[in-house]
Amino acid sequence: MPLGTLDRSPPPFFKQGPSALSKLMVFSALALFLMVADTRFKLTQPLRAAIGTALYPVQWVALRPVLLARNSGEYFESLQGAQSAEAAARVKLALQSQRASQVEQLSLENDRLRKLLALRERVGTTSLAAEVLYDAADPYTHKVIIDKGAAHGVEAGSPVIDESGVLGQVTRVHPLISEVTLLIDRDHAIPVLNTRTGARSVAYGDPTASHGGTLELRFMAGNADVQAGDILSTSGVDGVYPPGLPVAKVARVERRADSAFARIYCTPQALVDGARHVMVLRSMGGQLPPRPPAEDRVPASRKGAHK
Amino acid sequence: MIMRPGQQLLLPANPVFIWGSLLLALLVNMLPLGRVPWMPDFVALVLVFWSIHQPQRVGIGVAFVFGLCMDVHQTALLGQHALAYTALSFFAITIHRRLLWFTVPSQALQVLPLFVLAHAIELAIRMLAGDVFPGFTVLLAPALEALLWPVISVLLLVPQRRAPDPDANRPL
Repeated sequence: MPLGTLDRSPPPFFKQGPSALSKLMVFSALALFLMVADTRFKLTQPLRAAIGTALYPVQWVALRPVLLARNSGEYFESLQGAQSAEAAARVKLALQSQRASQVEQLSLENDRLRKLLALRERVGTTSLAAEVLYDAADPYTHKVIIDKGAAHGVEAGSPVIDESGVLGQVTRVHPLISEVTLLIDRDHAIPVLNTRTGARSVAYGDPTASHGGTLELRFMAGNADVQAGDILSTSGVDGVYPPGLPVAKVARVERRADSAFARIYCTPQALVDGARHVMVLRSMGGQLPPRPPAEDRVPASRKGAHK
Repeated sequence: MIMRPGQQLLLPANPVFIWGSLLLALLVNMLPLGRVPWMPDFVALVLVFWSIHQPQRVGIGVAFVFGLCMDVHQTALLGQHALAYTALSFFAITIHRRLLWFTVPSQALQVLPLFVLAHAIELAIRMLAGDVFPGFTVLLAPALEALLWPVISVLLLVPQRRAPDPDANRPL
C-alpha cells in the first residue's frame, strides 16, 4: 500500500518480489548487453523493428498536432505568397525543361559515343518518393525519419536525395519507416568529385558548425586545386551513389603553413534542416559487376612482419 | 500511519490513470519538435513521480521498457535511455519513504540530483560510444525537469484529491 492513501487492501508484508537492488542489477546488465550488441555486433535490428512497429500508432498520434499546425499555417498563407511561390516554381520549371530537352539529346549522343568506344552502359536508377516525418530527437546524431520502410521496398544503404542534392543515406529500415543519416552526421562520408577540376575526394560530415561549413574534405594536399565556390558532385566510384548528383559547395579553404593538408569546408546543397519531400534511390550495389577475386598479397613490409 | 502534519489523506490511485499518464508523457516526448538538447524528458519525470508515489505499481521494469521505447524512437543507442531510466527509478524508490515528508518545493530540490544523474549516464554512454558533445544547453534539461516537479505533483494527484464521498456540494 502506498503511503498516505485511503487504499483498503492490506499491504503485502512478505510478498514484495525481488528487491530493488537486484532488479537494478538485472536491468542494468540487460541494458549494457543491449548497448554492446547494438554497437559491436549489430544484433538488435529485429528488436528495434518490433518496438518501432509497436510504437508506430503512438508516433502517428504525436505527429498529428504538428502536421495540423503546419497545414493550417499553409492554409492561411496569403494569396500573394502563394502566387509568388507559383511564379518562382514556373521559372524553375522553364529552366529545367530547357535542360531536360537538352538531356534527351545528350544522353542519345552519349549512348552512341559509348557504343563507339565500347564502354559499359550507364546504370539507371529507380527511385521512390517519400516524405520526411520528423527529425530524430537524439542530440548526438543527425538523422531524419521517412515514411517509407521495408514494406515499400526501401533497402538499407540506399541514397536519399531532395530537390537540390544528396541528403544522406538510409541506415536502418523498419517495416513502415526508415532512418536516414544526413550528410552532416559525424559518421557519414561520401565520395565526391570536384566538377571544375575532376579531382576525386571524400567529404566527411562535421556537425560542429562553428567554422562555417558542415562538411569537410579531408586529406587534400595543401596545394590542391580547390577554390571557394567549387561544386562537388557524387563521383560514382563507391557503388552506392549514382554519379553526377550535386552534394556540396566549397565554402572556405584554409591553407596552413604548418600542415601538409588544406582544411576545406563545404556546405551541403540539399536542405539538411528542412527537407520534406525526398527521393529514395536504389543503391547501385546490385547493378554493378562483382568484384574480381582478391589476389594473393605479397607481404608489404619485411620489417615487423613476423611477430 | 504516521503522516506529515497537514498532509491530505488521498484516494487510491487508479491504475488506468497511472498508465494513461505514462503513455501521455511518451506521446509528449515523441512530438516532433526537432533536435533540442535542453528538452526536458517528460517520461523520466512521470516515471520518477510514480516510482515515488506508487512504487508497488511502477518500478524498475516499467522504467526499462519505457527506456527502450525512447531509444527506438530517438534512434539512439539501444539501451541508453533504458539504463538511465532504470537507475532513475531505483534511486526514486530508494528515497520514496523520505521524500514525501518534505514540502513540494524541497522535493523538487531533492529529485534534481536524480535527473542530473540520468542525463550524466546518457552523456557518458554517448561519449564512450564516440559521439560529439551536443553543447552546454544539455545541462538545462535536468534543471527544467526539477522545475516541472511541482507542476506535475499537482496535476497527477488531482484524481486522488477528490472527495471520498461525493455529495451535492462536492460532486467530483
